[in-house]
Amino acid sequence: MAKSLSNIELNLNQFSPIAQSALQHFNLSARQEKVSFEKGVWANETPPAGYIRLRGNAQNPVFLAATQAALGAHIPCLACTSIKTEFGSLYWLSIDEWLIVTSVESRATLQAKLEQSLTGIHSLVADQSGGMTTIKVLGKHAADALSHCTVYDLHALNMGKVVGTSFGKLSVFLCADHDGYRLLFRRSFADYIWRYLERAAEPYGFAIANLS
Amino acid sequence: MFVITCPHCCEAREEEEFHYEGEAFIARPVDPEAESDEAWGDYLFTKKNPKGWHWEMWNHATGCRKILVLKRNTANHIIAGSWTLSDARKEYDNERATA
Amino acid sequence: MSRINKPRIKHKHSRVNLSKPLNFTFDGKPYIGYQGDTLASALLANGIKVMARSFKYGRPRGIVGSWAEEPNCLVQIDMGAKTTPDLKATQVELYEGLVAGRTSGWPSLAFDLKSIGGHFSRFMPAGFYYKTFKWPAKFWPLYEHVIRKAAGYGASPIEADVETYDHKHHHTDVLVVGGGAAGLLAAQLSGQCGASVILLDDQSEMGGYLLSTPNTTIGGKNALEWRDSVITELQSLPNVQILTRTTAFGLHDMNMIQAVELLQDHLPHHQRNAIQRRERLHRIRANKVVLATGAFERPLVFGNNDVPGVMTVSALATYFNRYGVACGKHTLILTSNDSAYQAVADLAAGGVKVTLADVRDNINAEWDAHFKQLGIDVFTGFGISEVLGSNSVTGARLSKLHPTNPMENFEKDLLRRRVVNVRDISCDVIASSGGLSPTVHLFCHDGGRPTWSDESLAFVVSANGRANAGIYCVGAVTGEFQLQKGLEKTVQTTQEMLASLGKSATNTMALNTNEIAPNPTKAIFHIATSKKAFVDFQNDVAVTDIQLAVRENFKSIEHIKRYTALGFGTDQGKLSNVNGFAIAAEALGKTIPEVGTTTYRPAYTPVSFGALAGAHVAETFEPRRYTAMQASHEQFGAEYETVGNWMRPWYFPQNGEDMQAAVNRECLAARNGVAIMDASTLGKIDIQGKDVREFLNRVYSNSWSQLASGKCRYGLMLNEAGMVMDDGVTACITDTHFLMTTTTGGAANVLNWLEKWHQTEWTELEVYMTSVTDHWATASLVGPKSREVLAKLCSDIDLNKDAFKFMEWRDGTVAGVPARVFRISFSGELAYEINVDASYGNYVWQALMAAGKAFDITPYGTETMHVLRAEKGFIIVGQETDGSVTPLDLDMAWAVSLKKPFSFIGKRSLARSDTVRTDRKQLVGLLTEDPTIVLKEGAQIINSSNISPPVAMFGHVTSSYYSAFLGRSIALALVTDGFKRRENVESIFAYAEGKAIKAKIVSSVFVDAEGARHHG
Repeated sequence: MAKSLSNIELNLNQFSPIAQSALQHFNLSARQEKVSFEKGVWANETPPAGYIRLRGNAQNPVFLAATQAALGAHIPCLACTSIKTEFGSLYWLSIDEWLIVTSVESRATLQAKLEQSLTGIHSLVADQSGGMTTIKVLGKHAADALSHCTVYDLHALNMGKVVGTSFGKLSVFLCADHDGYRLLFRRSFADYIWRYLERAAEPYGFAIANLS
Repeated sequence: MFVITCPHCCEAREEEEFHYEGEAFIARPVDPEAESDEAWGDYLFTKKNPKGWHWEMWNHATGCRKILVLKRNTANHIIAGSWTLSDARKEYDNERATA
Repeated sequence: MSRINKPRIKHKHSRVNLSKPLNFTFDGKPYIGYQGDTLASALLANGIKVMARSFKYGRPRGIVGSWAEEPNCLVQIDMGAKTTPDLKATQVELYEGLVAGRTSGWPSLAFDLKSIGGHFSRFMPAGFYYKTFKWPAKFWPLYEHVIRKAAGYGASPIEADVETYDHKHHHTDVLVVGGGAAGLLAAQLSGQCGASVILLDDQSEMGGYLLSTPNTTIGGKNALEWRDSVITELQSLPNVQILTRTTAFGLHDMNMIQAVELLQDHLPHHQRNAIQRRERLHRIRANKVVLATGAFERPLVFGNNDVPGVMTVSALATYFNRYGVACGKHTLILTSNDSAYQAVADLAAGGVKVTLADVRDNINAEWDAHFKQLGIDVFTGFGISEVLGSNSVTGARLSKLHPTNPMENFEKDLLRRRVVNVRDISCDVIASSGGLSPTVHLFCHDGGRPTWSDESLAFVVSANGRANAGIYCVGAVTGEFQLQKGLEKTVQTTQEMLASLGKSATNTMALNTNEIAPNPTKAIFHIATSKKAFVDFQNDVAVTDIQLAVRENFKSIEHIKRYTALGFGTDQGKLSNVNGFAIAAEALGKTIPEVGTTTYRPAYTPVSFGALAGAHVAETFEPRRYTAMQASHEQFGAEYETVGNWMRPWYFPQNGEDMQAAVNRECLAARNGVAIMDASTLGKIDIQGKDVREFLNRVYSNSWSQLASGKCRYGLMLNEAGMVMDDGVTACITDTHFLMTTTTGGAANVLNWLEKWHQTEWTELEVYMTSVTDHWATASLVGPKSREVLAKLCSDIDLNKDAFKFMEWRDGTVAGVPARVFRISFSGELAYEINVDASYGNYVWQALMAAGKAFDITPYGTETMHVLRAEKGFIIVGQETDGSVTPLDLDMAWAVSLKKPFSFIGKRSLARSDTVRTDRKQLVGLLTEDPTIVLKEGAQIINSSNISPPVAMFGHVTSSYYSAFLGRSIALALVTDGFKRRENVESIFAYAEGKAIKAKIVSSVFVDAEGARHHG
């Protein structure tokens, strides 16, 4: 977990950059507990990750082959599906758009591989690691809590399915995992989405989950 | 508070996920400079605004961010169907050919 | 049979628990009720008759109904921040410690000043307020204040609500609205075949009217046993969700039903759970909706029918059977139909003396025999011409009705024929039934219309009339008022509904009842009288008011409603509307279906603002987007301004500075030393593909063909009408990769705009784009010392002014973090925009602050940004522009390339007859004669200081600030023919808030017109 930045004296000769989560101010790691049945809803931010936005024409075999070569996996072309691979997850976002989630460490290499593989092919590869936040929601009332937040029919969200939908007055990508839900959204939405989720979950009993 | 089926996400979704994008199939003149002021003004501002069936664009804003086309009855809000832009174009042309 | 001697009775089917007494107060006085009571039943049990005063005449009023139809007894529940005005006493569940106040009666319930006026009520006919308080118009606020106070209605809370509310979204196969017999059966059949079912009812328990008529049997079980068996089964089905205390108040397109659930209002305060909501708004998207909303009994209208103690028969039966309250010792019941008979029998059997008057000439033989056995006096062919008593019922005058037209007064005729025509009855309660009015509201909310049924004498809806929309109706709402037939039809309709879901259901329950086949209802709505006969109690609308409206030539029922106020108010005419339609029809000489109904709109019953707002309050009222540097801004004491949804630092007051002092200090730091601003909120769009240049050429007014990698350019985006819609700097990363920036507020709109053009018109262009707004955190380092500060943190970019020029960008490392640095300037100073992965945004900001410490680096906010850019004459889209301003109007022809081969968006419009005018409103600078005066933004530009109208206005001030750097005020304005006036340095006046300030028209660039500073 990142150190607090307040009042630190920067050594201008030797830098040691510190990354911070958009939910830093909620101090979640200090408040997390072991998940139990005592609370209806548990949530926490997932560890920092590398996010790459990929766009291209799924009808174009050259694009598909190039992405497969770089990723070692077929990108999901069925609407609203996601797959897990060696390096992380691949989410379908649109007919020509995917989100690749991998570790912070492997993001740059993977991105470079993609860019190289896709050179000259109609596509887009963009690093969004600084711009995305992921929250995991679990517990026996996770779906109840989320039904206060989103208009999406959670019964229709089978495992692995990913949908772009509403969350309060903002939007998220919502994905069902084997043990709960995953919300992926823009960094700047984080404060609102966390507060909104916490408020929605409160009546069911809410606590911050130790996800490790 | 409609339910709109997104032809890209292949699912019926709540209207909150969508933005209205106006009348469909208003083609931009190929050579705008060749248009008279009047014709250009029509392109910009004159809309069909019918009471009854209307072909209109919606953007699946929170979802796939694609424009889709609805055929919707503005009098009773019945939605006859939703299509991708290209599929809708065929439906629209067929309808006009048989009308 | 023992006679009852007090209102509270022991009734074996009562839902009230007499072993659990509850203390409560009403209008300041303490009372005792019991668990299971409503406030109304408890007050009635305490013998309280007058609970309200009427709206217009201040007449004493008591309880008429037993649920949402109650027009009179509006109460104020609770106090302080928790107070709720205008709840119906009939719907308030009693709890220990409940505090209820009256909402009418001024100065008191016992004496209402308006009642004096009531003696002159013939001077207050329909439209009285319209007619009387029309002139002079400026006195209306005064009239309104007095009228409102006198009229009644509760007081809105003045403290912030301490309760919380939320919304919940549901998606279900079947929604059943109403948990009466039909609704229970429909839910059971649906649940049995596996459909997901939500069953909701607005009362505290399921059962509907079954709770009021426990002597009815279904399949050999009494009504309550039958109900219990169905509920037990429903509760055992995991696919069925039951919501009580939940009112479906709106049915919208495609079966979106909104329902509000009261979660805690029935609990004493100490049992309320602080983490639970007070109310929850359920937004239910149902594949099929089954409306089992039942019906309300409508009273008959007769003289003095508003005296406390006059109610509906169903209410009387409900208080008796459900709550164990006998509203009087001697009850007179007047009916036009057989549905009242069970209540007559129940009351008489329970020890109440009952007299029955039936407007019909004959009575069903089976019932007649039963009534004789119970010792009930029966008058057939009689109506009530007037109620006797003033503060409470003491009796009634029964009159023989005209055989063919009961609404006609024919006393003289009868006298002549020596017919016994009048009987005075003494009694303490009168209940009437004019038939049932189906609760068709939800069916009609999204365009459905009820139809008049002569057979049911009611506006009804058909069971499957809207099946193609997925809406089915069962029970009394369809006009089927007999229980057994209603249940049989419910099975049939539910089966049809389930078949449309591909499911089948078989009913295995016996549905035979012990009802006696009824005689037809008589079509009678009001009885001739010389006394005031009220149709709508809440609005004091009498029969004569409706007749007067018709005489005054109101013909449409919608107009009659609005003129008389029939059906307005918190009860929305649930008791009164159909009687009103019928009386209007009679006056108009039309049939009831010809007159039709008024429009039923949501909400069915009042809904609290709290429920509608849900989570959208306080911290979650609106999304607040924060940048990565937020912690630093907070530390530095920022005041904020919302831009789009972003919380942007507005200014950073230090040591108690006011805004102007802070902005002056920040501006001078940027111009003379070094300052820093968080620019992360600007929209950033990553665009890639071989056709990016062409794409940019089409969406921007200027040209992008020549921009080399490593360079940036300011771009102006027009809409197709040629008007400026956004602007920003776009950088060429590689020949096939550009990074566009947009305004903060326009970011989402611009991305949609680009996507729309690409998807609809230019699919052939090979470009893809994605927002990277949130990925990059951006710090603008501004001022003559900015290079020196950056140099401390960045060693891998050559910052030499010739190596890294204005309008160029470089990749490098800042404070050890990979960064993309743009040398661009919105302030006119030497400036660098440092972009890093937002995870490191706060760290890099802190590093820049540390590096700048020696130069007194000064964080600044949007206000200083605005001043700095205005000094340079740079526009803000949305401030200098309003959708009617072209680039040429802004004197920005340099950003319009008319030579590009493709006719870019907006180009053609720049050549329209109106846009080519040379005397359009154009952007100019203004300098006030008195340099200390800062003009008001929005001030109108006028020709002289003479402000007596008419005054020609030819422009307005778009931006206006005090410039600390210049030591005087500056302003920008859009002025008709501004460029010519600028040449002539014309003097004008800017008028706002009563003052006309003299200023001269000058160039809009106030600082460094030659650009030496930003090139430095």
